[in-house]
Amino acid sequence: MSATSSSSFDLLASGGRGKSSRTLLRVVILLFIAGAAIASRLFSVIRFESIIHEFDPWFNFRATKYLVSHGFYNFWDWFDDRTWHPLGRVTGGTLYPGLMVTSGVIYHALRALTIPVDIRNICVLLAPACSGLTAFATYLLTNEMTTNASAGLLAAAFMGIAPGYISRSVAGSYDNEAISIFLLVLTFYLWIKALKLGSMLWGALCALSYGYMVASWGGYAFITCLLPLHAFVLVCMGRYSTRLYVSYTSWYVLGTLASMQIPFVGFLPVKTSEHMPALGIFGFLQLLAFLDYVRSALPSGRQFQIFLWSIAGSVFLIGLLGLVVITSAGIIAPWGGRFYSLWDTAYAKIHIPIIASVSEHQPTAWPAFFFDLNMLIWLFPAGVYLCFQELADEHVFIVVYAVLGTYFAGVMVRLMLTLTPIVCVAAAMAVSQMLNNYLSLKSPKPEDHAVVEGADVTATKKKGGLKSTNKPVVGIYSLLSKGVVVTSMTIYLLLFVLHCTWVTSNAYSSPSVVLASRMPDGSQHIIDDYREAYQWLRQNTKDDAKIMSWWDYGYQIGGMADRPTLVDNNTWNNTHIATVGKAMSSREEVSYPIMRQHEVDYVLIVFGGLLGYSGDDINKFLWMVRIAEGIWPDEIRERDYFTPRGEYRVDAEASQTMKDSLMYKMSYYNYNALFPPGQAQDRVRGAKLPEVGPTLNTLEEAFTSENWIIRIYKVKDLDNFDRDHASAAAFDRGHKKKRGGKKRGPRVLRVE
Amino acid sequence: MKSFLSFSLLLLATLVSAISSTGDRLLAVLDDVAEKATYSKFLGDLESRGFKITYETPKSESLSLFRLGERKYDHVIFFPTKAKGLGPNLTPNLLVQFLNQKGNILLTLSSEVPAATSLVSLLTELDITLPSDRTGLVVDHFNHDVLSAADAHDVLLLPVPRPARPDVADLFASGAPADTPIAFPRGAGVLLGAGPLLTPIVRAPATAYLYNPKEQAEVLAADELFGAGAQLALVAGMQARNSARLAVVGSAEMLSDKWFDAKVTKVGEKKEVPTYNREVAKRVAGWAFQETGVLKVNWVEHRLNEAGPGANVSNPAMYRIKNDVTYKISLSQWDWDKWTGFTVPANDDLQLEFSMLSPFHRLHLAVDAAHSSPEATAYTASFKLPDQHGIFNFKVNYKRPFLTNIEEKNTVSVRHMAHDEWPRSYVISGAWPWIAGIGATITAWLAFVAVWMFSKPADARVVLKKTQ
Repeated sequence: MSATSSSSFDLLASGGRGKSSRTLLRVVILLFIAGAAIASRLFSVIRFESIIHEFDPWFNFRATKYLVSHGFYNFWDWFDDRTWHPLGRVTGGTLYPGLMVTSGVIYHALRALTIPVDIRNICVLLAPACSGLTAFATYLLTNEMTTNASAGLLAAAFMGIAPGYISRSVAGSYDNEAISIFLLVLTFYLWIKALKLGSMLWGALCALSYGYMVASWGGYAFITCLLPLHAFVLVCMGRYSTRLYVSYTSWYVLGTLASMQIPFVGFLPVKTSEHMPALGIFGFLQLLAFLDYVRSALPSGRQFQIFLWSIAGSVFLIGLLGLVVITSAGIIAPWGGRFYSLWDTAYAKIHIPIIASVSEHQPTAWPAFFFDLNMLIWLFPAGVYLCFQELADEHVFIVVYAVLGTYFAGVMVRLMLTLTPIVCVAAAMAVSQMLNNYLSLKSPKPEDHAVVEGADVTATKKKGGLKSTNKPVVGIYSLLSKGVVVTSMTIYLLLFVLHCTWVTSNAYSSPSVVLASRMPDGSQHIIDDYREAYQWLRQNTKDDAKIMSWWDYGYQIGGMADRPTLVDNNTWNNTHIATVGKAMSSREEVSYPIMRQHEVDYVLIVFGGLLGYSGDDINKFLWMVRIAEGIWPDEIRERDYFTPRGEYRVDAEASQTMKDSLMYKMSYYNYNALFPPGQAQDRVRGAKLPEVGPTLNTLEEAFTSENWIIRIYKVKDLDNFDRDHASAAAFDRGHKKKRGGKKRGPRVLRVE
Repeated sequence: MKSFLSFSLLLLATLVSAISSTGDRLLAVLDDVAEKATYSKFLGDLESRGFKITYETPKSESLSLFRLGERKYDHVIFFPTKAKGLGPNLTPNLLVQFLNQKGNILLTLSSEVPAATSLVSLLTELDITLPSDRTGLVVDHFNHDVLSAADAHDVLLLPVPRPARPDVADLFASGAPADTPIAFPRGAGVLLGAGPLLTPIVRAPATAYLYNPKEQAEVLAADELFGAGAQLALVAGMQARNSARLAVVGSAEMLSDKWFDAKVTKVGEKKEVPTYNREVAKRVAGWAFQETGVLKVNWVEHRLNEAGPGANVSNPAMYRIKNDVTYKISLSQWDWDKWTGFTVPANDDLQLEFSMLSPFHRLHLAVDAAHSSPEATAYTASFKLPDQHGIFNFKVNYKRPFLTNIEEKNTVSVRHMAHDEWPRSYVISGAWPWIAGIGATITAWLAFVAVWMFSKPADARVVLKKTQ
């Protein structure tokens, strides 16, 4: 490394002249950018350990392990009987396999090179590795937009360290986005390349990259919608060309075929509304190509052209009408709920509580833009403006992407991710443009311009436009202004790096499986309750003990405790989740038959009352109630869980329904024992708990972790003597049953 | 010497296995150990069947049902004791625990000695109700023994207990002579709750009733009547979910030597007949101590019933939807001293459920003679798995009064079709037009390319113009 850096210094000293030395310099810079991108994502590994983060990555990790140990075809046909008990999940057909297959290929390649690497480490480090590639792809994409190579390098650097992308790609964040942002940018690059060259080869490469993207992430629909939109806008601008025809057609046909090879996607590209724009534009382009051919074949006639255009328009309209009819007839699936919530942010809250309950589906708060993109967010419009100035086909793409990306990022927090690449590209263009103008020591000479202007004066006048552009001489003369602008820009860039590093290290590098807190003396204290509890499950329960928990923890239980779960983060079955919600929010007598029916052995809940951990189940409880209410509005009513004054309380004032609910009982069972009598305190909700804690009859406490974050209860078997659990538990506590006497009302007679 | 020892141990082991199916350690709780002479024949019968009886009084300090958390005895008999409580070693909780650990209890009552409170609490938990004074006397003015209770009418003569329902196993009356009565002297009765675990063995005749001779000797108000007629169970059995058994015999005297040998005469008859007590005592004790009516599952096997790989694998963990599957279960019944094949009665049915959340199939299990032997009977059913993937259970749930509960659950996963298990497209006749279409397109394309490649451009100038 030192050798390359010293040689790069030599190159810098010689001014980097000459084409080959410039190329070498670029390669070196790109390598440094990739190094920086990877290094800044390793905070979590250094702070904590090489561990898979959060929720979804645990499933991906588990699936990867399955792939590595069972082979590709078994993975493809994987029926997972350890999730969604007792329904099971056709996992091989309901996931995007790109991520796991990539890791598997890397694993086997390293094995073939006799480098024994744990599959976990590959999974942990895949996202940082891909971020290096993303930086390179961004470089390529930006280079297509401008002739200025520094813009590409800047864009690559921005992309490498922008928090908006780091949030989903730190080491250990083994999620689909880790790999697919690289593919997203690469696909866009190849699309632009294909469009510029009108080349079938690049179109096919674009389709391949698109196919890989489809295999990796459900967000591929963004490309599926963006490329047709770009093509449509170009056509509307009167920029239809054979280049567009060739590139779009080869992308669409090959890309759609590739996407249909993924079992999870299957026939969706021809059946769902999300994919219809691509199909429609494909047909539209065929029509245009046909008309274009007819026009070139026939002697020109204005009326004939109008006639043709009207045919084109009417066919387009008829196609649209047909689409509407087919959709309403139900042949094409109508737009999904997630799609509606893209347009109306309140839609999910009313109709699909399960989508609204996910925090990353919430609309973005304004500070988040600045937090995730920092100064790029105000450089971004400048870059888009620069695109407007040139407005070649590829710049139209930037504009379209910018508009669409900004809207979606505003609607849903997680879509900030798709906005980040375009922001980096546009901002890099703006910065490089500015630096290009201000960084050259040479001042423009008026007489040089005068010659040029004189030759071109008529053209300028015809163009009109802004007054400033009509001025004969444009340029920066003062060294002071150059110095000020360049210095401030440098400071901004340095601040940007500082901000990115700070955000990465503080906000995005926590595994959330392990919590860190500070001791009074400032030293770090690790709270490891999750893994403690999952380890307990792994070591103390039967191999097929079914664990009921809220769906957030399903993937973690499957991945860390290796036990079957009822529901998990793959929320495909609302009714099943609502069943668990109902079991959690009902009285014990109602919950018990549900748990028996689903063969539940243990119930796991998260309780933060002791530690003040706010992401616990009591705070998520209302979502359980709402989701259950969606299916059983007669049995579960959200209103019942509030006090008469409409407050959500857990103390003595809590409503009776709340106090009777299984979740409440499980959370606060035996909690009083920790405190002096009458002083039990819930530190999350700041509530003083009633003096007498709840009693549990159908469950018994099996495990409570060190800080009480995880509590596990065992579901009791049916009573050996057919008593109800309440009286059996009362008997065990030493209360004798009242002797059957006269006060029991009419005697029940045996009939046989 | 060593071989002799091991041989005698083996002999002992065979002896042990020839008594009860669960064990031979029997505890008898009496007021006074000397009292056992009263029941010498009954206890002698038990000993001759191989039980090792330990006699204890409730006050004894060595009395304890458990040692280091394990049962010390397999069975317990309670004879009437005068003490109100049974002391700290026989609390109701301990007795419930004893049953929970599959111990069996035979409990006798008497009209002269009130039942111990601890037993009353135990019975109350099991939904068996005793009179509020913990005792009572069953009398019948029409079915008593004229010889011994001509005035008191408190020695009931009962017919041999036939099964109450057609699906109840006939363990107590089979092979009994037609009109030998059971003498039920000076006993109390109990009321049974409506739960499915409780079954009356001997019920009082329609004309019998229970009263308290001390308080209700003069007048018995209708609303104070504890029980009458068939509602009164004189001998009753309870089998818990774990198949632990508890039998209540209303009259301890009925088990005494005196009534084993007594001759009785029914009302309106002159003939003196011997009682059936000895045989009934044997059978009730035998049932309670797991000597009869004990079922066991020897093995369960399910396998693929179609050709191909995996056809020879027994009990695979995973099937595919729409597989043909065979299920076999082998059942045996312990009949006093040996295992015999268990044959389901003609009016009953052994069924197999294939269920996920709710049953998808409920099938009749037929006898499979090929896999049966004198010691075990095999049952089998073959069926096609449903077109639904998921985690299913093969479930045999056979619970009948007096017979050990059988709840056999075998979990299997049923997976979806793998990508290479579908029929190929050319096998499906409906796909032929499409295959033909593909063929036509390919041919036409190749032909077009050929024509295009080998046709000379008509005019180079025109071509140039076009490419612009």
